[in-house]
Parts: sequence; structure tokens; C-alpha cells
Amino acid sequence: MAAASRGGGGPKALELLRALPRVSLVNLRPNPGSKKSEKRRGRGRHGGKKSGRGHKGERQRGNRPRLGFEGGQTPFYLVIPKYGFNEGHSRRHQYHPLSLQKLQYLIDLGRVDPTQPIDLTQLTNARGVTIQPLKRDYGVQLVEKGADIFSAKVNIEVQMASELAIAAIEKNGGVITTGFYDPRSLEILCKPVPFFLRGQPIPKRMLPPEDLVRYYTDARNRGYLADPSNIPEARLELAKKYGYVLPDISKDELFQMLSTRKDPRQIFFGLAPGWVVNMSEKKILKPTDERLLRYYSS
Amino acid sequence: MAAPMRRAWLGLLRAAVPAARSYHAPPPRRKSGGVYRPDPDDPLTPVWQLQPAYEAKLYGRYGSASGVDPARLWPSPGKLQELEAEEREWFPGLREMEAALDKKEREEERQRVEREKLIATNMAKMPQMIEDWRREKAARKEKEREDKARRERLLAEAQERFGHKMDYRSARFQELVEEMEKKQRKELKLKKKQLKEEAKKKAAAADPEPVPVLAEAAEPA
Repeated sequence: MAAASRGGGGPKALELLRALPRVSLVNLRPNPGSKKSEKRRGRGRHGGKKSGRGHKGERQRGNRPRLGFEGGQTPFYLVIPKYGFNEGHSRRHQYHPLSLQKLQYLIDLGRVDPTQPIDLTQLTNARGVTIQPLKRDYGVQLVEKGADIFSAKVNIEVQMASELAIAAIEKNGGVITTGFYDPRSLEILCKPVPFFLRGQPIPKRMLPPEDLVRYYTDARNRGYLADPSNIPEARLELAKKYGYVLPDISKDELFQMLSTRKDPRQIFFGLAPGWVVNMSEKKILKPTDERLLRYYSS
Repeated sequence: MAAPMRRAWLGLLRAAVPAARSYHAPPPRRKSGGVYRPDPDDPLTPVWQLQPAYEAKLYGRYGSASGVDPARLWPSPGKLQELEAEEREWFPGLREMEAALDKKEREEERQRVEREKLIATNMAKMPQMIEDWRREKAARKEKEREDKARRERLLAEAQERFGHKMDYRSARFQELVEEMEKKQRKELKLKKKQLKEEAKKKAAAADPEPVPVLAEAAEPA
């Protein structure tokens, strides 16, 4: 459209563009050079020989044992006792970094809507982060990169945030909360549609493990379990520390959105635990049984 | 400067057109032939299709057209009790976890204070201990020096007697030393005996006046 109005390409180019076939599944193909055809061993004049893999054994058959294996004798990496720097590394929580720069990028491109509260659902739908709960991912951490250029007013919920990142969000009149999701809730939060298609009631979010309780009950981290009355104080304190004037969000036109907060047991904004969402009928089913209500509200 | 201005312009634009395109999940694939319902009597029906999770899935896919009673989507009373028991056993409440953390922190604090106290008391003893060690070291050195001097004296004596230098570890020298020591001991004994006799005499002559004279007379012997 822009090219046509400027007259640089002329109406000819527009016509050409109209005449060309539309992009569809039938004419989509990988970029030239991006795919390499698989190597097929022992074909043509190379048949009957060893195909460049040498004579017999693990080397030829490609079934070499794992790295560090010494044929059954106690391997070196187990012989020498070592200090446990990597103790429990396979069970440690992983938090993907989400920089303020990336968040600003997503907002500027219209991939994330800052007029709505942002949580992991919005971020994954915008393809801003990829969370794999089965690979010990526990969410995202907001990191400081781009704190100087960040200029959006958002209500965001992340799993961890650095102090400067919190300051950068709040300086622009935004609100930030850090919240914990157990792996099951995280899976549901990141992939709501497959979950709704399963026809199950939304479970309640579990509390954090004991070693994270202190983090999430601290108002300085804007933890979701912190006493809400302590948070304005912490916001003021941070503003004093970084030397900015804290915008008064209660007079903001988006105050309603900015003050939206999830219950500690809630996974989705606006959906309570125990509800069943049916996508095909666009219906929400709520339990009425006393015991169920008690279980889901505790 | 340019970036914020551009952003401001974008903000104006945003007011006119929707800011972000909301996400729409692709609709589920349509299957011809209506709703599939597993036949429990058919032996070829997979077991997993006869379980409540599959029923729920059918409901999620087709809604009420699936013919599934929505009340069965929630756990039954027995299952609910199990869930509650599991939660009670494995998931402590926030207050409990905080109490446990408080307790742990108090215990750590107590251990830290105890350790610091121990260190302080031991450090208070430190100057005295260093002083003692210095004194001991000086005494040890002094003794070593004396030993060395004595050995040298003995060696000199032995050289005088035998006419040649001797090793202090040799058997002859050791014999000589023993002999001399024996002699010394004998002398010492004699001296003691004399002293005792003298004391006796003194006691005997406690009444008469000229005791010192007698003692003087006895002494040259």
C-alpha cells in the first residue's frame, strides 16, 4: 500500500504482487540450503567396503560407551572425591532470563498487550519465552538488561526479579509481582488450551517449597505471599534508593488493571481453582458441592 | 532522544488502532462422523479409553454433545478424601513452613552465638598461653645450653685423661661419665651425712653457749 501511494514501484508491482500465488501450505518449503540430505552409507561405487568407519568394533558400529566410561573399571571421575559444587544440579530450579529489553521489544511489536496484566501465558503466547516444566524450568526471571530504555507501564508477574528490574518497572508506573508455580500449574499456565481440552477442573496452585518461602514472603522481592500492606512501603523505599519519583498509580486511568493480582492459589487471571473451562461450548462450569468448594478454596 | 519521541508517536498511533493482537488458539481439528464413544464391550477397545480421564477429555473436546455427565469431571468424594489426606501429609501450610524456618534460623543463631562465645573465651586465654609458651621455650633453650656446656666440660676432662679427643656417644666416654657421676653422688652423700651430724651436734649442744665454736671446730674435718 505504502509503495503504491508513493509511486516508487508503481501500480505494476502491485499487480504483480496480486498475480503471484498466495503463501499457503502447498507452496511453503524450507529455505534453500537450510536442509541437508541425509548421508547414505555404502551406496554406488562405495558399496561392499567399510564406508570410512574403519575395522570392526565400537568404532565401526557406533555404539561407543558413555563419556568417562573405562570399560568397567571404576572411572576416574568417581575415583577422586570432589567437593559438591554440582550437588543436586539435576534437581535445581531453572529460571529463564527475560530481559527488560526483550519485554520492551515484545510490547513495541504488539506481541504483548501492556493494557492487560502480563503473566507467563501472555509471554509464551507472544513466543517471548519457552518454558519446559519437565526440564526443571520453574518460570522466568526478569533481568536488568535494558533497564535504561524500558518505558512501558505494565502489570507483570514473573517468578524472580532483580532489584533494578523491579525499580525499572515501578519507575514507569508499573506493578510487578513475583510468584511461584509448581511444575503442574506451570504447565497449565503455559499451555492453557491443551489443558482445557482435557476437560479437567483447574487445580489449585501449590505453595512454594520451604527454601523459597522467605523469598516469596518478602515485600522487597514483591513476593505474592508478602503482606500487601508492606508493599507500598517497599516501593517507596526502592524509589528512594534509586532516586526516582514513584508515580501514584491510584490516580492512573489503568488503575483497575494495575491493581489486579492473583490469589496465591490461583493459576489464571479471572479463573478460580476448581472451575472447568469448556472451549467448544465457550462455557465455564463451577462446582457446587460443599466439600469440593472447601477443597479448592483452601 | 529519538527513541522516546518515536515511542510517543507510536503511543498516539496505538490509541487509534488496537495495541496488540490478541492470541487465538487454533480450533481443534474437525473429525467427520460425529462424536467417537469407546465401546466397553468391544475387546479391541484400548483400556485407557474406558477410564474417567478419557471421558473428561471427550467432554473437553465436544462439550455436552459427548454425553458425559459434567458432574463426573470433578473428583468423587472418596477421591477427594484421598487428595485431602495427601495434601495434609505432603504439603505443609505456609504458617507451618514459616514456623519451621523460624525454628531453624533460631537454632542456627544459637549455634553461631555459642561458637563465638567459645572463640572469645579462648582468645582471652591466648596472651597468657603465648607468655607460657615463650617462657617454656626460653627454659628449654637454657637447659640445652647448660647440657651442651656440661658435655663440653666432660669432653675436655676426658681428653685430659685419655689424651685424645672423644666422641660423646662412645662407650668409653659414657663409662667415664657414669664413673664421674657415681663419684659425685658419693661426694654428695658424704656431704649430706656430714651436714646431718652437724645438725645433731648442734641439737645436742643446744643448751651450752659455745655451740658456734664447736661447729667451727668440726667444720674443717
